[in-house]
Amino acid sequence: MTTARPIAAKATLRLAALMALAVTFLSLGAMALQYRLVETRLMAAQQRLLTADLNGLAALYDQRRIIALRQAIDYRATAATGDEMLLLMDRNGTVLAGTRADWPAALSPAGEGFSSDNAATFTEGQTRWLAVARALPGGFPLLVARSLQPVDDTLAALRRGILGLVGALLVAGALVGGLAARSVMARINRVNTLANRVAEGALDARLPGPRSDDEFGLLETHVHAMLDRIENLNRATHRLSDTIAHELRTPLNRMLQKLSRIEGQDDLTAELKAEMRQAIRMFDSLLDISRAEADQGSGGGLVPVDLSTTALEVWELYDPLAEDKGLQTEARITPGLHMLGDRNLIAQVLSNLLDNAIKYCAAGDRLTLSLSPEDDRILMRVADTGPGLPDALKPEAFDRFTRAERDRATPGHGLGLALVRAIAARHGARLSLPATEKGFTLEIRWPRLQQSD
Amino acid sequence: MTDMDRILIIEDDPETAAAIRAEAEALGCQSDHRDTLPSGIEAAITGQYKVIVLDRMLPGGDGVDAMARIRAGGSTALILILSALGRAANRVEGLEKGADDYLPKPFEPEELRARLRALLRRGSIQVLDNDLLAFGDLEIRMKARTVHVKRTHVPTSPKEFELITYFARNAGQVVTRMQLLENVWNLHFDPGTNVVDVHVGRLRRKLEDAGATAIQTARGEGYIFAPLPA
Repeated sequence: MTTARPIAAKATLRLAALMALAVTFLSLGAMALQYRLVETRLMAAQQRLLTADLNGLAALYDQRRIIALRQAIDYRATAATGDEMLLLMDRNGTVLAGTRADWPAALSPAGEGFSSDNAATFTEGQTRWLAVARALPGGFPLLVARSLQPVDDTLAALRRGILGLVGALLVAGALVGGLAARSVMARINRVNTLANRVAEGALDARLPGPRSDDEFGLLETHVHAMLDRIENLNRATHRLSDTIAHELRTPLNRMLQKLSRIEGQDDLTAELKAEMRQAIRMFDSLLDISRAEADQGSGGGLVPVDLSTTALEVWELYDPLAEDKGLQTEARITPGLHMLGDRNLIAQVLSNLLDNAIKYCAAGDRLTLSLSPEDDRILMRVADTGPGLPDALKPEAFDRFTRAERDRATPGHGLGLALVRAIAARHGARLSLPATEKGFTLEIRWPRLQQSD
Repeated sequence: MTDMDRILIIEDDPETAAAIRAEAEALGCQSDHRDTLPSGIEAAITGQYKVIVLDRMLPGGDGVDAMARIRAGGSTALILILSALGRAANRVEGLEKGADDYLPKPFEPEELRARLRALLRRGSIQVLDNDLLAFGDLEIRMKARTVHVKRTHVPTSPKEFELITYFARNAGQVVTRMQLLENVWNLHFDPGTNVVDVHVGRLRRKLEDAGATAIQTARGEGYIFAPLPA
């Protein structure tokens, strides 16, 4: 019996996480592309501004050389916005005009002219600059640079936006995934609960409410169809055993009636009647076995039974028989042990075991029955010091029609232990054949019913 | 069993019905036969029957399910179910649903006769609730749960006391092993061995040792409790 366990929706959660991650990665990729595009465009804009500046300075230089440049730079430096950097020096390193007093260390003048090609970026303080450094003819270093601060600010804002969006996507993905997993799990759990109930024997269990028009509804419909089929088969098994009983017993009955009319051959008719009785027992046992197997796991028909009393009653029924055969008998039965069961079936188990023991034991052998509590079970042990089971027979001891070669002369049909096993299984009991030095020992652990008082 | 008790047989197998009829007549009863469930129920309600022998798997339904309708129709007849559904579970089911006795097929004529006789007696004699059952020298005190023969106490085990009480209630009648197993031990399966014999033998020896030859073997049938009047 499996207890209902709230298993985590591992598969569903994995799927949801995968989906959320995939969506996030795709979005991230798209945003990265956009970021690159924005960055390129902004840099191009700065580059154009720089080119425009240089073109303006070039025009002035064309008119009046250094003088014009110096004037223009002076003029621009007084109205400095902080967005641009201009510096003009003479060949001795003296500043002629500019927004600053020294040449930045990270940069060295390269080339002549006012081309904006090979503009370099350098960082000073917190600010990045796009700069062109030239040495004008005659050894006048000129620096023209534009601050990249606006570009960096915009890009930083964009990055923050992207990060926030990714975070939001992950959270949303987790949320949606979790919700989906929960709803899927709820649907799957319905079917799981049903399967558990069926496994515990409630073949008529079905899911209540209407089927939804989706794949889960379809699953439920399929499970129901399967259960209907199993239930029908089970019912057919029950019906078949009733029909077999009827169809076989009716002719047997006629035979028995006719047998009773035979006079003068009492011994022969008595023998025939005994044979018939044996055949009927065998066939009842077969039906009992198949019925017990069909009902296995179902709690239907089981009621609280005082196992101690039942065991004692059956023991007292057989004890005189054992004593008459010269066996030493002993019963140790703890009183007041209860279980859910069918009293007649349990009595049949014990009756089979005691009958077997008495049949195979010889005078002087010991026969003991004990019944004691063991955790949440009741341990029933039937032990004798008779010939025991041949080792070769042990693996199939509980199969139908298993009989030892040496026992061919002893009456019996080899169904006793098979019936014991079927009835034990019907009650959820565990069977074991513990190794013994001598004789046959069988232990049955019945599930114990805890009394409330 | 005075002035012709009537027995109704609801049974679809003619040969079985004839066998039941033969037993009924041997017991001095008048018998009627119906071979379907509806006609059987109708007869059960309209006729004054003492005992109804009812089959289970009949044309028209299961006899066990018909018992409630027969009772509801006002019949006070005792019902003996005679059915091919003879496993312990079937028998217990039938008895729990209100049958007075349940005999599985195939049955021996003697077994059926013993059952019918017990039911006919139950129908005519009121329940024995006297404290003292006396059969000549043999006295059974119900409340004290003791047995005395010629004023001497005969110690009996609880089961032996139940055994002798069951015998006493059916004094003079053949009681079968199956009846003893069902009524004294409340077991509804054939244990294969005649375990009951050992118990009856022990009780019989105790009584004989005390001087009462109360229990006799009815060969091929069972036992008969017939204490000889002193």
